Amino acid sequence: MQPIYLDYAATTRVRPEVKEAMLPFMDEIFGNASSVHRWGREAKVKLEEARARLAALLGASPTEIIFTRGGTEADNLAIFGRTRAVPGGIACSAIEHRAVLLAAKAAAGEDRELHLLEIDHTGTVQPGSIDAALKKQLAVVSVMWTNNEIGAVQPIAEIARRCAAADVVFHTDAVQAFGKLPVRVDEVPVSLLSMSAHKIGGPKGVGALYVRKGTKISPMIHGGGHERGLRAGTEDVAGAVGFATAAELAISERDAEMNRLQKLRDKLEFALLERVPELIVNAAGAERLPTLLNVSVPGANSEMMLVMLDMEGIAASSGSACSSGGVNPSHVLTTMGLAPDVAGPSVRFSLGKETTEAEIDRVITIFPPLMQKLRQKALI
Amino acid sequence: MSGGVDSSVAAALLVDQGHRVIGVTMKTFCYSEVEGPSQTCCGLDGIMDARSVADRLGIAHYVFDVERDFTRDVIEDFVSEYAAGRTPNPCVRCNGNTKFRDLLKRGELLGCDAIATGHYARMGTSPSGAPLLMRGLDQQKDQAYFLWGLPKTLLPQLLFPLGELTKPEVRQRARDLGLSTAEKAESQEICFVPTGNYVDVLERKLGSGHPALSGGELVTTTGEVVGHHDGFARYTVGQRRGVGGGHGRKLYVLGSNPASRQVVVGSWEETYRAELWIGELNWLTDQPPAGARVGVQIRHRAPAAEATVETLDQERIALTFSTPQRAIAPGQSAVIFSDEVVLGGGRIEREL
Repeated sequence: MQPIYLDYAATTRVRPEVKEAMLPFMDEIFGNASSVHRWGREAKVKLEEARARLAALLGASPTEIIFTRGGTEADNLAIFGRTRAVPGGIACSAIEHRAVLLAAKAAAGEDRELHLLEIDHTGTVQPGSIDAALKKQLAVVSVMWTNNEIGAVQPIAEIARRCAAADVVFHTDAVQAFGKLPVRVDEVPVSLLSMSAHKIGGPKGVGALYVRKGTKISPMIHGGGHERGLRAGTEDVAGAVGFATAAELAISERDAEMNRLQKLRDKLEFALLERVPELIVNAAGAERLPTLLNVSVPGANSEMMLVMLDMEGIAASSGSACSSGGVNPSHVLTTMGLAPDVAGPSVRFSLGKETTEAEIDRVITIFPPLMQKLRQKALI
Repeated sequence: MSGGVDSSVAAALLVDQGHRVIGVTMKTFCYSEVEGPSQTCCGLDGIMDARSVADRLGIAHYVFDVERDFTRDVIEDFVSEYAAGRTPNPCVRCNGNTKFRDLLKRGELLGCDAIATGHYARMGTSPSGAPLLMRGLDQQKDQAYFLWGLPKTLLPQLLFPLGELTKPEVRQRARDLGLSTAEKAESQEICFVPTGNYVDVLERKLGSGHPALSGGELVTTTGEVVGHHDGFARYTVGQRRGVGGGHGRKLYVLGSNPASRQVVVGSWEETYRAELWIGELNWLTDQPPAGARVGVQIRHRAPAAEATVETLDQERIALTFSTPQRAIAPGQSAVIFSDEVVLGGGRIEREL
């Protein structure tokens, strides 16, 4: 039995083209990009090329791209970078990834106000809900481009416009959106935008923060003045090149690939709705990421759902994975207003590059009887 | 799989025997409530050790979060027993009420035929073919005492792969298999008392002002006040420590009276009792008839002492020892044996 990987929102395999593009930087082009000598210059050229390639995909200028060691670091740099640079409170949506939510709580501390923006039952922030917060002095507003658990796409353009009108810096965590949805900073007036490589076929531990020219932020990591003084540490040239390569591939294939995956996702969604009684598609009323399906199966045991799927060779996820391997209830689903007995037994399928129709068909065959079995067995 | 050497080797032996094995760690409580940063429970070393062993053995490993049930069925019972002046056996309670029951239910969903643990116990067969729970072969490690509370219906599905082995043999197997847990130290303490001092848990759950943790009198059996104590729940039947000196003789705890908050003390001789009553009975074989001579173990690692069964009512029996036994503690388990076979057991209600 071939295992089926449907957890692409967690991470992806590094694409062969990306791996190929990275290899020279572990071998002949191993230089430190800050060095004066030819080894250093060679690395520096490739690093800056990668920065420019990424900037072009985003509609930004290369000096606006700060490479980080991942999406979480980019989020932290955005939040803390602002609160360290300027006074004022923080506003963010209640369904942010913990990289933003917990950074915002920590950055706010005792002294700053933290405004949590409410979301509606579809998992979407209503743009008008930020108006009250915008009347206060704010260091930063942060709303994710698309939610990682339910896939709900947020009205980023509208929120960005309102923030710009109020002259407030707006950050968006685009980790799940970049490479899958049209994400352009020349079309949407965001000030700060987080990205990650490993969600789109790039290496883990590589991310970037877009910082619009003129946006004042302070570094979190001090040292050798790399990345325009905003992120010290010897540059990961291999990672930057891998990221740029993965992003170019993802964006060049985006329209066709998203079309293909949306068809498969919709097929899975309709089949499960038909075959699993009382199944709920979470964020059904929202515009959603075409690669993601989050369903609740009331009456099933949340912990056992993933275990039973794993036993069948199907990799999915639920809530936010605890590092112990356990599962915590999703703050996103409970914030949306789902009762605990509906929010608990939820599962996220996320499709990607290697997903095939045969795989989706197998999940359609396997999942409904598993859920029936699970519902019959009351677990206390 | 706790992450310890015993359950690691148990899993390895089953894999060797050709079984299709699924490793499970039950997360019984969150360590973060006790100490350290809030994510401690997730990084719990035991879970990671178990996962690493499972990976080494090529088997799946899952974490089942039973914290809510465990808190209700084991920790709350533990606390209320101490508050009532008794000495609970949380491991017995967990085995009977949480661990095996929850594992079986989840195992059935996964299509499992049996549940195995790293307990030093054995399964045998009666002449009529019924499964029997028996002591482990290693007398130093035998853990049958902790298993009397299992539902009888579970017996056909139990496997104890370590039952025929000694602890040194188990460690050797772990080394041979290259398991990372081979040299891991023995855990003696109760899993939810990582500090090793159960009073810490009581203070957190009851509050230090609770009557069970507040001062009272030390009295003799004749009612003479001979001193003071700082909370009867801090004392266990038979202990001498904390009773203080200067009484002209060595004094030992005989029991406590929660209503008056008195701790009763007496001589070494007075700690001996010839009879006890047990309730919350559970039988793994037919109930022994009145007048039957059985072996009774009143605490972990104590040898079984000969006793005669007397039926009190539906829920309780009395056991009369052939020779008096020291420090019988209400709340502890009394486990009833016929030679190596566990017949059943109960909670000690009183000693006479």
